[in-house]
Amino acid sequence: MVGRVGREDGVAVSTPQTSSPQTSSPQTSTPRQRGAVRGDLEQVFRTAYPRVVAVAARVLGSRDEAEDVAQEVFLTFGRSSVPAGEALGWLSVAAAHTALNHVRSGRRRARREEATDRDDGVAPDVADAVVIRDERRRVRAALARLPRRQAVTLVMRHSGLSYAEVAAALDLSPGSVGTTVRRAETALRKELNRHASSD
Amino acid sequence: MRHPTDGTLRRLVDEPAGVADADREHVAGCPQCLSGLAAAREDAAMAGAALRGELTTEHAVEVEVEAGWRRLSHAVAVEGGRRRSATTSAPRWRAALRSPVVAAFGVVVLLAGAGAAAAADWLQIFRTEQIAPITVAEADLIELPELSAYGEVEVTEEPQVREVADAAAAEKATGLPVPRVGKLPRGVQGEPTFQVGGQVVAVFTFSAEKAAKTAAAAGEALPTPPPGLDGSQFRLTAGPGLAAVWSEGHGVPAMVVARAVAPTAYSSGISFETARDYLLSLPGLPDDIASQLRSFSGDGTSLPLPVPAGHVTSSTADVNGTPATVLTSRDGIMAGVVWVQDGVVNAVAGSLSAGEVLSVARQLRVR
Repeated sequence: MVGRVGREDGVAVSTPQTSSPQTSSPQTSTPRQRGAVRGDLEQVFRTAYPRVVAVAARVLGSRDEAEDVAQEVFLTFGRSSVPAGEALGWLSVAAAHTALNHVRSGRRRARREEATDRDDGVAPDVADAVVIRDERRRVRAALARLPRRQAVTLVMRHSGLSYAEVAAALDLSPGSVGTTVRRAETALRKELNRHASSD
Repeated sequence: MRHPTDGTLRRLVDEPAGVADADREHVAGCPQCLSGLAAAREDAAMAGAALRGELTTEHAVEVEVEAGWRRLSHAVAVEGGRRRSATTSAPRWRAALRSPVVAAFGVVVLLAGAGAAAAADWLQIFRTEQIAPITVAEADLIELPELSAYGEVEVTEEPQVREVADAAAAEKATGLPVPRVGKLPRGVQGEPTFQVGGQVVAVFTFSAEKAAKTAAAAGEALPTPPPGLDGSQFRLTAGPGLAAVWSEGHGVPAMVVARAVAPTAYSSGISFETARDYLLSLPGLPDDIASQLRSFSGDGTSLPLPVPAGHVTSSTADVNGTPATVLTSRDGIMAGVVWVQDGVVNAVAGSLSAGEVLSVARQLRVR
């Protein structure tokens, strides 16, 4: 028999811990040991980095934080064996989840931001800055309260992924992408209004 | 005709080419749908503006790919260096070994720790063999913090998986008896090839400092570690293992039958329960996973499997009296059954039904 199975593709299987050498993605030809970084990392990074930052930025509202998230996501990707053809979708989903996790666990950061706000009171446009920052915080909080799948679908769509790309990455039908995005937008509006009126 | 769904109206807002002509024509002449479309357009615009945030204001989004790549390369290099320096500590470790605890620590490691990477390896086995595409679930698994967030993880022995000539060679390489399959399921035929892998050993050193940093990043304070935990080490071993693979042409495995020595964890001093309860109390671990893990493993013998919810369903069964976990992909393409007997993990999986893998499992004979 055999075909491709006969190489060092890992089939020995007990648990994830008996990890096997990772197989190469379709675009690299050398099998890698566990822990080694995939050969196409740089190529994928250069193509996908702006998109991954954009997805995270939709959640976080901040480019700096989005770049931190993108780094984290690419590090994980570098150790993975996600096929190159699925890389963009995988990275986008991972960026959305990771960014939403940052929001969920970001109370301390919010406090730090408040402290910084007070410090840079000399800036001439400080009022604008505060309004923007406050707005951003409300959006982040609202996103974090949406059902996770809705939030992920929403930010992916609003980051420029097509319905087909979102559908493929999340394993949804293109039809249900529209439904999910619609629901998420309604929920987001309600969340934002609810909190605006209670401020 | 029926009114198009809200989802269709939403797509009409920004990707009208993806909507069927009939739906478009209907909407154009239907006041109710036009009103729904207007509402969808309004919400979409609102959401778009909200999500753009500061990015529309003075900061143009010009992502510096070059700077980003330099940063990532550096991080990758640092990580690689840590891995390479790992191997030297193994002998000293063995001297420190005291209380062996069983796979339950593996529970924490897998689900709380090795997380995405480890689970990716499990999934990758199937991906590699092209049984079913299970990509998305990996992204969900990223939510889990890595064990390295709480200390140093060093893989000191790699399994070096390779193919061997036949069952006898597999047995010789691993010391494990090769299971004989009774009746092959329909669609599975011919002789299997054999893969073997050696023992994997990883050492985890808990670092209160690292854990505190992780907690701080999550916006929380680190609960006080129990005495003796800081700097204490846990050694995790698994394997050796072997697998018999039946191919179905084009390298697609029709069925895999595998056995491996079950993961075991050893502590350098502190008791497993103490470490487990403490790790599970740390911020960053999703609550539902922490509570699942806590309810697990009272006896320290349960073997965990990260099951990517949404793509795989799991259920329980028994294999000749031993409790087993049956995993079925939601698309019905593959199924697997895993059980532990006498310290050995056994698995039967393939592009088969749950009934077929169970039937093979129940008829396995160990020579």
